[in-house]
Formats: sequence, structure tokens, C-alpha cells
Amino acid sequence: MKLQHYLGGLEGLPEPLSLEKRVFVEDWEKRIFGIHVAMMGLSNHLGSALPHYPIEEVPTSFDDEWTWADLRAGAEAMNPFDYFKFRYYEKWLGGITRFFIDKGYLTEDELVSREKELTADVAPEPRDPVPAIDEQVEDYLRKGDSPRRDIAHAEFAVGSRVRVTNVPAAAHTRLPGYLRGREGTVERVFEGDYAYFCHTGDGIGDPMPIYIVTFAPDELFGERAEGGPLTIYAELFEAYLEGV
Amino acid sequence: MTGGQFFYPDDREASNAAKVAALESLLIEKGVITGQTVDKVLSYFESEMTPLNGRKIVVKAWTDPQFAARVVGDTPAAVAELDLPEGMAGAEGEHLQAVANTPGVHNLIICTLCSCFPWPVLGLPPYWYKDPVFRARAAREPRKVLAEVGVDLPEDTEIKVWDSSGHSRWFVIPQRPPGTEDFTDDMLMEMVTTESMMGVALAGPVP
Repeated sequence: MKLQHYLGGLEGLPEPLSLEKRVFVEDWEKRIFGIHVAMMGLSNHLGSALPHYPIEEVPTSFDDEWTWADLRAGAEAMNPFDYFKFRYYEKWLGGITRFFIDKGYLTEDELVSREKELTADVAPEPRDPVPAIDEQVEDYLRKGDSPRRDIAHAEFAVGSRVRVTNVPAAAHTRLPGYLRGREGTVERVFEGDYAYFCHTGDGIGDPMPIYIVTFAPDELFGERAEGGPLTIYAELFEAYLEGV
Repeated sequence: MTGGQFFYPDDREASNAAKVAALESLLIEKGVITGQTVDKVLSYFESEMTPLNGRKIVVKAWTDPQFAARVVGDTPAAVAELDLPEGMAGAEGEHLQAVANTPGVHNLIICTLCSCFPWPVLGLPPYWYKDPVFRARAAREPRKVLAEVGVDLPEDTEIKVWDSSGHSRWFVIPQRPPGTEDFTDDMLMEMVTTESMMGVALAGPVP
């Protein structure tokens, strides 16, 4: 069981809540965000994405798949106490740096050396511009990477009662833990069958229907449910549902 | 390391900044990205994928009842009608879905597993949306959380919490504030914030 999968409904957390409305709280966070977007826009799976990006022709040395699933799986793999300890973009910095080291793009030693070179202002001059790389990244931002692959082939209809499966936890999931084993009602069947970036090991990956399922608060939280009229809506892949 | 579970070194931010600078420098040197890539991405989010797009959508819904119905019924088609930057169906906007607040219903968008956010219409998520404390608490006690951030709802108002665990990227059409009947579109735009378009605030004058 991973705590990161079970955040919804976790109790004992600080209150009252205050809203930090900034998107970035340190300038350096912008840089790791930009690197992540570039990796998504240069990911080698994009040749098979719906806009059929000419990814093979883009003159980047990046030759791996990098999607939200990779970033999320990294966050879900963290020591759960570190997950709470580190700020959002600190987790990104750790996960993305680890990825580039593990895949052999760079080494820990190179990173340490480059830090020193930058401090001493003796880092090598940047290479000449390569517009085709940046154009691909911007093209990705404009066109996206839709997971829709077909019209819906739905097992459940609007109004059906369904139970959320309680499959063994995988390294990555799109099943919020607080919904496991709970019963709800299908509110909407989305129009298509939707793939996921990878096969998570708990049932999703291949194209399948997605539903909006409604849950009553006392079904999810029992006596700890909040009073007053409230409905929880979750978007769930068909693999996470079974008939009641 | 001393200082307990949540010890942070004094040079926490300087160290992070140096690490990301070294990473970016090496990625440029090794031909993964270019010296302009990160700046171009950030510039795109400043000029194209901004909350200004969402505010325009909300004001159109406030001033055109037929559009208000369409934006909830078929969000991508309705958004495509407006004069917004190209790319509203781009990254993290492939499947936009709006929900509308009404006198008896208040919608709140959360993402308990990560931080799914409708980039093209709202830009990047603010820190509160990514905060594990918000994500955890809003699922079970949204009324209390909303009261804590200044949204006191009538007892009989239904709260609808939408957990973004699928393909859709959700946003809220807040209710038009009372007393704004004579406002121009530009004045109405000033009433709309990212927070009100995710349900943790009401539309209204921004302090």
C-alpha cells in the first residue's frame, strides 16, 4: 500500500487551510517545469500519438518515453514522508534528475562538476540554436496527446450500480485509494475508449471506457463523512469497476 | 542528518537552483534540449496558456445563456467558438470539461492522485491545488475546507466534488456576482480568478 494512492480523506492534517496562489514560489522551479514539458514534447512515443508528430526527424538526443505516467510513478514511488516533506517542484527535480542518470544521459559526477563550473562562470558556451527541437515542443503544447482511441465500448450504462475493484496496488495507478471497494452509480459514460500512457499493472493502459461514477459521502467515509448535501464524482477507467 | 524528519538545510533553495541549472546546462550540451527551450516553454505559458482564456469563457457564459448551456454540454466545441489562442485542445486541454455553479450547487475540482489541471484555459496550477493537505481534506470535508478559505455556503447548497482521476480536465463556471448587471465584459473579467474557476472561491471583487 502506498500512502500517495490514499491521500483522499486522510485525516489529522493541518487546519485551517490557507491558499498559496502562486504557481512558482522560487525562480528555479520554472526551469524544472520547462525541462519536464520539453521532455513530454520530445518523448519518443509521440510518433504514435494522434497528431502523428514527426518525432523521428526531430534532432534531439532524447530517445526515451516521458509522459505524466513517468512523473507520477516517480512521485508514487517516493518514501511517503519525503512526499510530504518536499515541495512539488522539488519532487520533479529529484525524479527528472534520477531519470536522466538512470538512462545514461548524464552522471552524478557531471552534475557536480557543472555546478562548480557554473559557480565559477567557466561552463562551456551553449551550442548553436536548433529551432526544430523547440518547434516540436511548442507543437506538442498546441496539439496535445489525446488518449482517445475509439468510440466507447461500454459495459455499464448510466444508472448502473458499480463497485470499485480492490486490485493489488501497482507502482502507478489512476484509482484513488479511498474509492476502493466502494459502491457508486454511473452518472455518465464518456464518448470514447481511452488509452493510458502505459500499462500500470492494475488494469489500465489499453483503450477502454471511462465513466463518471457518483458516490455518497457515507459510503466512502461512514460516520466520518461531512454533513450537508454532498456528492463525490470520480472519473474511473472501466477496469476499476465491476457490476453489483 | 539531524533535526528530525523535516530538517531542511539552510541552503535549500540555493542548492535546488544550482542543481537545476547544472541539469539544464548539461541537457543543452548533450543536445536533449536547446538553450532556448525552457524559456520558450515559459513564454508560451505567459502568452497563450493563461487564466485569461478561462476568464473570457466565464464572462461569455455569464452574458450569453445559450453559450452557458453549450459550454457545459460540449465544452471543447463551445471553447472553440471563442476567439482564444490556438491550442485550446492542446496539452492538458485534450478533453476539457466545464461544470457550472447554480444557486443550489457549488462545484469543487480536486485531484487526489496528482495535480491534473486544464492548462489551456487556466494555465498552471497554483500551489494550493497541488498541496497534499488540500487534496486529502477536500475529498472528505469540502464544506469545512471551503469555509476556511472564505467560501461560506448556505447549509442547503449541494457541494459537488470532482476528483480528476481520468482523462478530463475540469474547470468551474462560477456564478455571476450580484450587482454586476451593468458591468462591461472587461469589468466582469476582473471578477473571475483561477480560484473561482476551480471552486475554492466565489467570483467577485478581488481584494
